[in-house]
Amino acid sequence: MQAFEEETYHNQEFKSHTWKRIFTLMAPLKKNVILVIILAAFTAVADVSYPLINRYGIDTIIETGDLSLLPIFIGVYVLYMIVLGGLIFSFIYLAEKIRNNLAYIIRKHAFEKLQNLPFSYYDRTPAGWIMARMTSDSRQLSELLSWGLIDLTWGGLMMIGLLSVMFVLNVQLALITATALPILAFLSLYFRKKILKAFRKIRKQNSKITGAFNEGISGAKTTKTLVLEDSNYKDFEHLTYDMKRHSIKAALFSGLYLPSILFIAAIATALIYYYGGMNVADEVITVGLLYVFVSYVMQFFEPVMQLANVLAHFQQAQASAERVVSLIDAVPDIEDTDEVKATYGTIAHPKKENWEPLKGDIEFNHVTFNYKKGEKVLDDFNLLVKSGESVALVGSTGAGKSTIVNLICRFYEPTKGTITIDGRDYKNRSLAWLHANLGYVLQSPHLFSGTIRDNIRYGNLEASDDAIIKAAKMVGAHTFITSFKDGYDTEVNEGGARLSVGEKQLISFARALLADPKILILDEATSSVDTQTEQTIQKAIETVMEGRTTFIIAHRLSTIMSADRILVLEHGKIIESGTHEALIENRGHYYNLYTNQFA
Amino acid sequence: MKRLKQFTQWMKGHIHLYLIGMVLLFALQYMRSLTPLFLQHIVDTVFGDKPSALPGIIVNLIDAATMQTELLFVALFSVGFTFIRLSFVFVQHMIFANFTEKTAYQIRNALYTHLQNLPFSFHSKADTGDLIQRTSNDVETYRRFVGEQLVTVLRLLALTTFAILQMFLMNRTMTAISLITAPIIFFSAFIYFIKVKSLFKSVEEAEGKMTNTVQENVQGNRVVKAFGNEIHEIEKFDDHSQDFLNKNMVLTKLMALFWALTDTLIFGQYALTASFGIYFVVQGRMESGQFLAFLALLGMVVWPLRQLGRVIGDFGKTTVALDRIDEIMEVPSEHENDSALTPEINGHVTFSNVSFHFDDTTDNLLKNVSFDVPRGETVAIIGKTGSGKSTLMNLLVRMLENQEGSIEFDGVDIKHINKKWLRRNVGIILQEPFLYSKTVYDNIAIMNPQANENQITNAAAIASVHEDIVHFEEGYKTKVGEKGVTLSGGQKQRLAIARMLLDDKPILVFDDSLSAVDTKTDIQIRRALTHYWENTTVFIITHRITTAMEADQIIVLDQGEIVAKGTHDTLMQTNAFYASLYNKQTDLKATLDEEA
Repeated sequence: MQAFEEETYHNQEFKSHTWKRIFTLMAPLKKNVILVIILAAFTAVADVSYPLINRYGIDTIIETGDLSLLPIFIGVYVLYMIVLGGLIFSFIYLAEKIRNNLAYIIRKHAFEKLQNLPFSYYDRTPAGWIMARMTSDSRQLSELLSWGLIDLTWGGLMMIGLLSVMFVLNVQLALITATALPILAFLSLYFRKKILKAFRKIRKQNSKITGAFNEGISGAKTTKTLVLEDSNYKDFEHLTYDMKRHSIKAALFSGLYLPSILFIAAIATALIYYYGGMNVADEVITVGLLYVFVSYVMQFFEPVMQLANVLAHFQQAQASAERVVSLIDAVPDIEDTDEVKATYGTIAHPKKENWEPLKGDIEFNHVTFNYKKGEKVLDDFNLLVKSGESVALVGSTGAGKSTIVNLICRFYEPTKGTITIDGRDYKNRSLAWLHANLGYVLQSPHLFSGTIRDNIRYGNLEASDDAIIKAAKMVGAHTFITSFKDGYDTEVNEGGARLSVGEKQLISFARALLADPKILILDEATSSVDTQTEQTIQKAIETVMEGRTTFIIAHRLSTIMSADRILVLEHGKIIESGTHEALIENRGHYYNLYTNQFA
Repeated sequence: MKRLKQFTQWMKGHIHLYLIGMVLLFALQYMRSLTPLFLQHIVDTVFGDKPSALPGIIVNLIDAATMQTELLFVALFSVGFTFIRLSFVFVQHMIFANFTEKTAYQIRNALYTHLQNLPFSFHSKADTGDLIQRTSNDVETYRRFVGEQLVTVLRLLALTTFAILQMFLMNRTMTAISLITAPIIFFSAFIYFIKVKSLFKSVEEAEGKMTNTVQENVQGNRVVKAFGNEIHEIEKFDDHSQDFLNKNMVLTKLMALFWALTDTLIFGQYALTASFGIYFVVQGRMESGQFLAFLALLGMVVWPLRQLGRVIGDFGKTTVALDRIDEIMEVPSEHENDSALTPEINGHVTFSNVSFHFDDTTDNLLKNVSFDVPRGETVAIIGKTGSGKSTLMNLLVRMLENQEGSIEFDGVDIKHINKKWLRRNVGIILQEPFLYSKTVYDNIAIMNPQANENQITNAAAIASVHEDIVHFEEGYKTKVGEKGVTLSGGQKQRLAIARMLLDDKPILVFDDSLSAVDTKTDIQIRRALTHYWENTTVFIITHRITTAMEADQIIVLDQGEIVAKGTHDTLMQTNAFYASLYNKQTDLKATLDEEA
């Protein structure tokens, strides 16, 4: 996960809009936040008053020698203990509650948004970027808005409390301590920022090293065959050397930080020793008060350091906040209109009762399409596919095969022109309606972790176990599935690592069959599978296609031949169209393509 | 404790740093235990006439005639004293940092080198994710152990010891009273942090599951959308996200309870010490300055105790990490005890009765394979997946070692030839070649860093990949790999061929290395290469019969055995297996021809 964390900060301005948005997310936690702030205030009071309890013991009991007051002293102490214990418990509990719940809320919003964002969003947003928003950013942000906020309140109140009490007790000594404040604040902020920056560098370097290890391991075979061990090592050694250098530099800052703060404290303490001591000697103040001041000087540093820490992290958190907001508030560029939503419902609340059955006639009317900033992929493209017809799309990379499929799925919408389904512009009905009638078999089949059964059921979440087995049998997957020890309950692991590509493909066919879609998209793989598997897959394809409008991005001849119609595409235009036999007879592009491939 | 030996190996040369650091550390903690005594000195000695708890040398130094000068001296001395102490704190910090980073540097380098030198059999079975974990997290755990945890433990131990010593020197009874809760504080922290470990783990697992759900959702978003399963996905994610939240809250409750209880306990100890202290002072059995010093010294004992319990409770992690690193280092490198023989290799290859099986099975992947390839000949090896083609190639460069029979290059058994030398002489172009995260240019130049730009573009042109490259936005400067462009399988294969062209090899192996290239380009490349590598012995592993046809010799493998051997023409006539293979693959052409 570490590698996902970006470390760029564009500007340092305070972004009120971003924070407002984040605070609206925090709204459900309002009560907790208020409570924790009150608790933070109480804790500050408790911290300030602690030395005063001891002072009472020193000045009142010791000075007077009146031991009858000792029980009061003990009583106050015990009370303090209990109050503090309670404060600390509720404090930690609430802060963590806010932190965890806020992270949960951010994740929830982000994930729901992700489900509503169109495919085009995923096309231009790297998966790693999305992952980082869901993990490190939501973590950093919730950390700052819980503990950071509390530190800020506690630290601020603590300083105010300490200063006020000191000034009430003795102005001269209070002034001495207060003079240290700006120096402390400056030093703390300076070092915190430096340290943060240094550690960021280390993290970056660390992910480079991890990357190099990854490369060393994944590329081991190539490295061995090319005997590149030594040259790789040289590159690697540069990385670790830099890591060492950066780390020692970071240690320099972190090593200077505390001593310099403590040194300021030592000077302040010495001044208290001298002036306070003089005052005691002159009997202006008591020994107890001297003790209180010596304690306060040390207590003063904690909140300053905490505040500096929060401020130093603020910039980082703001960057996180901006990125999170940019995800949560991303505007989908494909969305149902309000009228459509009113009739057909939304993704979250579909009104299935209003959904018309889909027949499967699809027509492209003068469709022009270009991806953002791209050249036109389709220009005035026309195509009519009748319900139940299967169409194979053939052509070189960039000819427009994937684009046609993306448009049919409404992963993208035409830039110009319309696409109709059963005679109506498909924008007039909801995305959910279309997708409910759509089946999709991917080039590299994507399986979710879970069992084989779960993965087939993904096509229709309400399907019975029998229906699942039936689907698997129909595509010829039943045999290999039952050959596993756990049969349908076999876990497919992350990304289905234990299954062969062919097996994964059969499972995804079963999934599509179970969905019983009216429109089916087959994005065929080029990968070479052995002849046996190829035959099974071919049979599965034929089973799945039956009675559905099917679009196939095809590479295997056997698949292409089984389509009702073959479209040969070039630069977004249909240059040939017809059945396999007709096209062969034609002696055109199709003929050339295939005589070439198999000669 | 074998693992310790390995680690001391890495620390060697820096260990003196660690020792100096340790000596400083102890001295510093002693100095720190003296700081509360300054206040005691002021209250008891300057104001009163009682003995100072400070060491005699210091007392002599700050002794003065008047109270005011004495106060001034104490103040000045305490500043100077602290300054010296803090400077040493810094020095000590840097010493430990240097030590830690230097050993971490050596561990990383050693791990990397070792991983690269591990035999192919290790890599073919290894779980990349797990290995990465070991190289990053486990090294980090180790680093934190020597650099932070061990230092912290020693520092805290030293501090508490000296603080107790100072207390003891002032008042024994009070010392005993002040330490009553100490064992409870320490052990409750220690036990708590051991107990809570399994909870931490379950939180981590819950987070892992949640992250995995997102990752799968993002990667499979086409499937999610096409099946309209968004709501299902949201529910699935919410389950995991909530589970993570709940597990965190369980941990939180325990954590809050622990900190609150130990804090109460610590303040209880303060109450006890303070009450008895006041009592003793009033009774005249202790000075008030001593009492103040006790309160300060108590803080140097009780707070660190809790931290000590935590750090020690955490030690278990480190031993696990060390074991995991060690497990890698224990696997012997494939170059260990390798021969130093580097004979001239001309390209005459002989296989005599070669058989191979993996150590954990007795199933032979290759059985009695024999053939002879004279220098400069082209051999095609054809067969189905699992027929043993790749095993054969792995044996040729000793990625795997044959158990029976022998493989000879110009009459020398390759078992006696240095592995790296062997591999330098045999150029293998893999089916799935790995490209390093460098530029396209550097990926080609990697085989010959001295090559000039002309040679490189020329090589790319021969391999039919030059056109592709110049169409990239940044041409030859385009970065490949994780952070760069994704190349198609065919482009990768052609790049791999291009880089091989930069180096003269007596033996070349195409391990199905044009499988992702279309037939037309395949032929084009092979034509170009035949001219280039006239005197080279070439092995072509393929399942495309048209690729194999033109070879001087064709070897057909099936289930580890040679089922046919000869030229295309002879095999077509004498071998039914080969002929059927040929017919199957050229079937289409036949139909097409008929229709024509």
